This record gives sequence, structure tokens and C-alpha cells, in this order.
Amino acid sequence: MSATTLIGPARSRVDGRLKVTGAAKYSVEFEVPKCAYGWTVESNIAKGKITAIETKAAQAVPGVLAVLTHLNMPKFKEAPKKEGGGGGAGIRNEERFPLSDDGVYYAGQYVALVVAETIEQARHAASLVRVSYAPEEPLLTMEAAVRKADKPKKNNDTPVQINKGDVATALKDASLVKIEQTYITPTETHNPIEMSGTIAHWEDDQKLTLYDATQFVKGVQNILARSLGLELENVRIICPFVGGAFGCKGAVWMHVLLAAMGSKVAGVPVKMHVTRRNMFVGAGHRTPTRQTLSLAATKDGKLQAIQHVSETLTSPVGQFTESCGSRSTGVMYESPSIRVEETVYPVNVSTPTFMRAPGECPGTYALECAMDELAIALKMDPVALRLANHADNHPTKNVPFSAKHLREAYQLGAEKFGWSKRNPELRSMRDGDLLVGWGMATATYPAHKMSAAAKVILRADNSATVQCATHDLGTGAYTAFTQISSEQLGVPFEKVTFELGKSDFPFGPVAGGSNSTGTVGTAIHEAAVLLHKALAELAVKDSKSPLYNTKIEEIGMVAEGRIGIVTDQTKSDSYADILKRAGRDSIEVQSEQKPPEENKKQAFQSWGAHFCEVKIDPLLPRVQVTRVVSVMNCGRIVSAKTARSQIMGGVTMGIGMALTEETSYDPATGLPVIRNLADYHVPTNADVPEIDVSFVGEPDFAFNPIGARGMGEIGITGIAAAIANAVYHATGKRVRDLPITPDKLI
Amino acid sequence: MNPFTYSRAADAAEAVSALSAKPHTKFLGGGTNLIDLMKMGVETPAQLIDIGRLPMAQVEELPDGKGIRIGALARNSDVAEHALIQQRYPLLSQALLAGASPQLRNMATVGGNLMQRTRCYYFYDPAFPQCNKRNPGSGCGALKGYNRIHAILGQSEQCIATNPSDMNVALAALEAVIRVQGPKGEREIPIADFHRLPGTTPNVDTNLKEDELITAVDLPAMPFATRSHYLKVRDRASYAFAIVSVAAAIEMDAGKKITAVRIALGGVAHKPWRAKKAEQQLMGKDADEKVFRAAAEAELAAAKGYEHNSFKIELAKRSIVRALTTVAGMNS
Repeated sequence: MSATTLIGPARSRVDGRLKVTGAAKYSVEFEVPKCAYGWTVESNIAKGKITAIETKAAQAVPGVLAVLTHLNMPKFKEAPKKEGGGGGAGIRNEERFPLSDDGVYYAGQYVALVVAETIEQARHAASLVRVSYAPEEPLLTMEAAVRKADKPKKNNDTPVQINKGDVATALKDASLVKIEQTYITPTETHNPIEMSGTIAHWEDDQKLTLYDATQFVKGVQNILARSLGLELENVRIICPFVGGAFGCKGAVWMHVLLAAMGSKVAGVPVKMHVTRRNMFVGAGHRTPTRQTLSLAATKDGKLQAIQHVSETLTSPVGQFTESCGSRSTGVMYESPSIRVEETVYPVNVSTPTFMRAPGECPGTYALECAMDELAIALKMDPVALRLANHADNHPTKNVPFSAKHLREAYQLGAEKFGWSKRNPELRSMRDGDLLVGWGMATATYPAHKMSAAAKVILRADNSATVQCATHDLGTGAYTAFTQISSEQLGVPFEKVTFELGKSDFPFGPVAGGSNSTGTVGTAIHEAAVLLHKALAELAVKDSKSPLYNTKIEEIGMVAEGRIGIVTDQTKSDSYADILKRAGRDSIEVQSEQKPPEENKKQAFQSWGAHFCEVKIDPLLPRVQVTRVVSVMNCGRIVSAKTARSQIMGGVTMGIGMALTEETSYDPATGLPVIRNLADYHVPTNADVPEIDVSFVGEPDFAFNPIGARGMGEIGITGIAAAIANAVYHATGKRVRDLPITPDKLI
Repeated sequence: MNPFTYSRAADAAEAVSALSAKPHTKFLGGGTNLIDLMKMGVETPAQLIDIGRLPMAQVEELPDGKGIRIGALARNSDVAEHALIQQRYPLLSQALLAGASPQLRNMATVGGNLMQRTRCYYFYDPAFPQCNKRNPGSGCGALKGYNRIHAILGQSEQCIATNPSDMNVALAALEAVIRVQGPKGEREIPIADFHRLPGTTPNVDTNLKEDELITAVDLPAMPFATRSHYLKVRDRASYAFAIVSVAAAIEMDAGKKITAVRIALGGVAHKPWRAKKAEQQLMGKDADEKVFRAAAEAELAAAKGYEHNSFKIELAKRSIVRALTTVAGMNS
């Protein structure tokens, strides 16, 4: 039963029927009796002080139960501070508690909360709240915030300012071929289909249940318990389904704290469903970036220097940092000298957060465009240039990569795409009147490991229930964990029920960093080992068992539903028989949550290659992506269908990043002008071609017992560069600021 | 969202009298724009009169047997798919299908589409303090703000918003006539006079009076209406408003001499922009790409761009050329 094949079975989603019939219940769909509704009032200035708030008219609206402002908001228990990582403390990228003072730090900040019996009453009353401000001049751009610039040493304990070798000398060496260019990415907003939302229900004044759309039930539990001064076990978080997240539901945002406090004050359960409009300010976004890449290479294409200087924004009430250079250039290519510099500017714009491959995604865009520019300067094929600089060892940690198969990804991708037929000359390829461009880029994302525990209940009828407080963001986690449970426990797929999304279950980490499959999979593996041991203990004491008096250490799973002597499989016993003879209906085990084992002798990173074709009408130059081939090397692929969907989703999001997505801001007020799905252009079906996904490599058992390095984020890395490179090949015009809209190609 | 009353009109006359009886009354058709704007707090009617069930959804031949009359409540999808429209006015069908999404087209009515309000960010979101259209005298936030989608023709210092409709551009090229009913009876408004330029009163989008109901749209006979094309340039392949669009129709003699031509532009002005200067330049000339480009230059000579939308001037010229080469059958 050991899962050693590269690609696991192509199961259909275990929750598919629930989803297509509408029976899957999302957070704000839970029915809680007497539930009231919260509606916020937002600041329309970016910086200043609230001088007065008139709430009488709002309070007079029938059905209004409470109007909260900084003047009457009860205090949260714990001083705001940064909550880092996914280890259990929870994440608050916005560190200031809502309505905690008269300060305005960004436009769109919640300045009041109305709670009313119906959503219409709450919304109407909120429109009657009048706020007066003493505005101050806001800082809205990098240029304006230059004097507040910060160069953080570390991001989540990882050094981000890198100096290896002597970049300065190499960049001055006249014998080398050099390029230096600056690349810009705009603010991007996650926009999952399901907006964030919470129902807060106090069962008594010490017991709170939250139905919260989150990527981290245990984190929400921890933060709410400490913020409200409650015992951890008295805070329950329930989230069986998430309708997409991409990072925007990883941290606890202000609406969650407002719902909990609003419910406490109003004395009834309160539902807060963040509007699509407020998803652009109240649930994070990807910061805009400005990245300058300087490359120097020998005439045969060997990199001698890579310098990656990146500048990003953060908010005055948070410290979230998008580490573009260290997470792309810091891992990608072999070079004797590498320098990464990261600068963060605090501006009066709402708080940014992780968005699918934070750092890696904009970082690989800039690096992989620069590599394309270098290939052209060298008159070298872009794939050949990358092969010439392939890093067998981690370029800044100097340890070998485990199970790295990037060369095969390039090779298979090029073959499937037909790359050898590419004419490198610009504007040389045509389809009728349309310009055709072919571009490629490398994808990469680290393998992250966190800690988790799992509970297994095995029954005498050979069915099993497995529980972990993990999450399914719409990614197919239910299915993948059911498959892993089936393989690891030795229970048929159809007889496994995997349960997640409840803080009552054993610990699951944040569903972020593409870690869930590996981390929770490892916990399932550990629980399976415990289960087989527990069954063995029953069997060896049972004189009717073929395993009677065998040493426990010699026993393991030998077939589906059977344990036996691993070296002599003629002696085995079935789970059902062991339980029946022991007079047991079921047996229960739970693995232990412990810090993940660190392997410092190797580096663990996933890899991939994207190849794409674009077609462009030279007169009316809107870019149409017509073909994508993506080959990924991510260790074991647990679930063939959902893994392919993950890569297709990442590529689709990358098409949006490359061509259409941009959250623009009004330069006067600092408010976003793009705040709905008509104006924020995610790709439509008509924008997305057939995406050909393949996987190469081997299970990475040096990383974890599942062999899986994770799939959620790598698909979006590199794809924007592949498209930008294809656009250049088609048109001869290099656009270095995303998105590549028609106006930039006229 | 403001509290409002809701009632359903039994017939057109009752709808019209209800409109005049109480201030701040609005008709509710498909609701695809009005309800959105009410939720945003831009529209705050005290009373909604639902006209959705009035018998005004037919598409039928005019008595002359050539033109077509479209009821104001005909759904955009139904009009676009109607055999008479597809045969005689394919331009209108193309424009409708280029707009919005199937779900929206299934709800949106022809009358509502005529009344569709601008997508200017500063109008659509009351968080912005400045908008002369929403709040006369407050200023124009777009003028020095983010103005990528804004007007390049016919705008004023008070307002640089555009009309977002695709249908309206086709109607302008087809010289549609809007039939309206008021307390004193019916009247007709040529499409060219229906929408307004912003001038000093950008808060008034159209010349429909406050007590009038749109009942139908007449499409007059137009022999060359089938030689037409709706070209929409947008930022993504589907479900996006036009950054520039062109409705074009042409008639040529055997020697390729242009004997009749209609051109209207979308996405460039506060109203669907009939390109009369370009049309005049083209009349009597031989169809040719250079001639088309010269006509486009003439039409856009008066265009003025702002920080983020100057690209529309060249894009509009190119779009005119492409639309004309398409209708003239000159594309490969």
C-alpha cells in the first residue's frame, strides 16, 4: 500500500456532489436563531483623526441594536502585536484592533459598526452615520514615503537581505554581457468567489462560536480567545467549506473581531459578510512592487552576478512584507555572486497580505523577464540559458536540493510545446494577420513544513473517520486527504470519511504556504502507524490471531485492511477480525502535534516550467493567450485531478496578473477606484486556453513520508513572465509594467 | 440602501401618472443597473414602480414593412436572438451580445439599457466626495484622478464620464427613434437627441423628461444595415466595458465608391458618438484604408485626453479603420 508512484489516483471530489447541489454549507450560510447583521461605515480619508461621529439618526432606525464607534467600543484584552507564522498563534497582518482609537490610517478603514435585526436596516442605518475628520496629508506612494523606508533583516525568520560574492565588481566587468531593467507590478486583489464572512454566536458570556470563512481555524480560535479574554476551549471555530481564499482568509481581519464584539454588545448572534467592495480594503491585497534586476553573464551564458532590488508597500498598522528577491533570485540560479535588497515603505493604504505565492510570484515575474532579456542580449535560446545556470545546490544556502527535476520539466515542456520550431526573431511568427509570440519561464515555490495532528477512528465494519482541523479552500483537500488516509490506513477510499474545518479537531496549521497536503498527510501517516500498532497490540495478545505472541516491532500493514509480519506476509490478520475478537466496535488513535523535523543537509523546493503562446492583433493589440504547457516537479502528486486543477488555477490567475488585473487607487483620496468584479478583470473563460499540465520527478521522501511538496502556489509563479516574454517575441515591444493592457502595446 | 416603497403598474398610463404623483420615483425594469446603484447609495428613490409586467416586450415590423419596433421591456437577450433583428439589423444583435454577460442580458431591458448610467468610479462610489453628476457642484474627481476609462470627445470640465452601453452605439448608427409616453401623450426622440453631452449639467444624462416612460425603440428602414459591424475593444475577451467601440455600416457602388456610411463610437463620450465628420469625409470617396484613416483623423481632431486615457485617441482611430475595412469587405 505504500504510495511510491509519482502520481496518485485521479479521484473525483468527494464533496463534488454537495457543491454542485448547493448542499455544501459555507460560513455565512449557517442558520443561527435570532441572528442580527453587522454593517460597517468606512473612512473616506486616508489619514487623520476622527473629530466627531454623529450616530443618533442611525440609532433611531427601527431594528438597530447597536452602533459602535471608537467612543463606545469595548476594549479588546490584549495589546495588538504581530502574530507571526502558522505555528498556532494565529495571524493578524493588521495589528491595530478595530475602532480602538480616533486615528485613521488608510482610506476605507472601518470607523463604525451598525448591528440591526435585518441586513437592510443595518445598511440603511450605516448610511446615516456622519463622521467628521481632521484630515492630514497621507503618504500614498513609495516616493512620498521615502523617509519612512525600512530594510527588514528577516521575513518570518528568514533573512531577506542577501549578499553572496562580489556583485558590484561583476556588474562593472566590461567583458561580461549585462542587462539592468526595472519591472513594476500593481496592487492585485484576491477576489475569491466567496467573500469573507463570519457569524459570531455567544452561547454564554464566556463561550463563543464563530462560523468563519478562514484558512486557519486554530489561528482564529487562538486570536479570538486572547483578544476577548476567553479560555481557548470556550472558543469554537467552524468552517467546513471555503469558497476560494488565495491568502486573503489566512489572517484574522477586522470584520471577525467586529462581529464578535458587536454580538457581545448587541446580545444576539451577529453575521458580517464582507461586501465585494470592502474585500478590496478589508481583507488584504498583494502590494504593488518595483523590482530592478541587474544580471551579468559570460558570453556563453554563465551568470556571474544577479542583483535583485525590490521595493514594496505595507500599511501603517501592519508589517506584512512581500519578499520578492529572496524568494526568487535567492533560490533560482547558480551564480558566484548574488545580491538581494528588499525595501518596504509604509503608506496610508489598507493592509496588504499574502496572495498566492507572496514574494515568489512577483519575484519570478521580474527575474524571469530579466532572464529573457539576457537571453536576447546573448543571442541564446531562453531554455538553454536557464539550463546553463541550473542550480543543483541551493544558491545561497549551499546544500543540495532534494529530488529536483527541473531539467526534465524544461525538456518535457519544450517537447510538448514544440519549442524547437520557435523562430527567435521578433515579430517573425504569424497566424494570418495576427502576431504570434512564444515565451517561457521557470516556476518555483519552496516546500514548507508545519506541524499537525490527526485522529483516526477505525470501526469493525472496516470504515474509518479521520479528523484534523485543516481546511479545504476549494482546492480538493477533502479528496486528497481521503486518498492519503485510505493509502496510509489501509482502508478502502469509499470507506474513509475525512473531517476538517473545526477547531475541536486535532491541530491543523494555516492552509498557506502550500503546506497542507504534506503537513497533514504526515500527521495522517503518523496516526496510521499508531493505528497499526494499536491493532498489533490487540492481535499479539489474542491466541486466536495468527499474530499471537509476535513482536510488535515486526508487525506492519501488509495489505489493505490487514496487518502482518512484514518479513513473512503469510502471517497476517484483518483489522475487522482483530476488533471483533477483541469485542471492540472501534478503535481510536491520535497522533501528537510536534515541531516539524528540520533537515538542514538538503534544500526542499518545487520547480516547474511554463511555455506559452500569445496571439496579438497588431492594429488593436489585446493579448490573447492561446496555448499553455506547464510541467511541474513537486514531489509526489497525491491526487491527479485536483493537482492538475491547482496548476490550471494558478496559471489562470497568472494570466490575469499578466494581462488584466490591477487595483488602481485615486491619487487624491487614496481610495481604490476598482472595487467590483466588473472593473477588476479576473480572466473569463474566453481569456483562458486549454492548459496542458504534466508532472515529472519522484516522491520526495526526504522531505516527508508522503513525498509531497505541495501544489497550491507554484502554478502562478513564472507564468506572468512567460506571457510577457511571449508578448515581446510577438511584438518586439517589452512591457515592464503589468498588466499588459492594450494601451501599453499601441 | 434607503427605504422605498414598491408597487406594480397595471398599464403604461398608470405608470406615467404614478411617476408624476410622487417625487423621487423611478421605474424598475430589469433592475441590473438601478438596484446596483441603490445598493451603492447613488440612486435613492423613495418609490419604485415595477413596469416589468407591462406588455411592452414585443419585437415587430413597423407598418411600412421595413422598419422594426422593439418594445422597451424586451430583454437584451431576446432582441439579440430575434430573427428579424438578426436579418435586418445584425449590428444591433452584435452590439447587444458584446455587452455584459448572458445572465445580465437575460434581465436587462432595452429601455433600461438606454438609461444605463456611467461606470465612472467617482460617480459609482459615494465615498468619493467629488462628482458633479451625482452631487452637482461638488467637482469632478476623475479630471485629475484615475481616468483611464473616461471621455475624449465632447466632455466638459464638469464631467468626463462616458456612456457605457454597447446597444446605444448601435442605435446611434441605426438612427433609432425612441418612443416615449408622458402625461400629455406620446412623442418621439431621435437617438441623437436622446442622450446629452455633460456641459454644465452632467447630472442630466438624457432628454427624457422626469414624467416620461420609454415605450419602444423604432429602427427605421435602412437598406445597407446588413453591411455592418460592431467592433468592441476591451481589456479582456469577455464581460468588460468597451474602452473604445465602433458601430459601422457602409454602402458602396460597384466601383467601391462610398454612397452611404454610418459610424458611431462608444467608450469615448458622454453619449454614443455619431462620427458625422468622418462620415462626411467618406461620402463619395473610394473605399480605401488611407481614406478611412483620414476620416478617422478628422473625427478625432478635436479629441482631448487626460493622464490615463490619451491612448484612446489613437485606439479610436485604429478602431474606425478596422471597422470600416471589415464592413467594406477588405479584411483578409
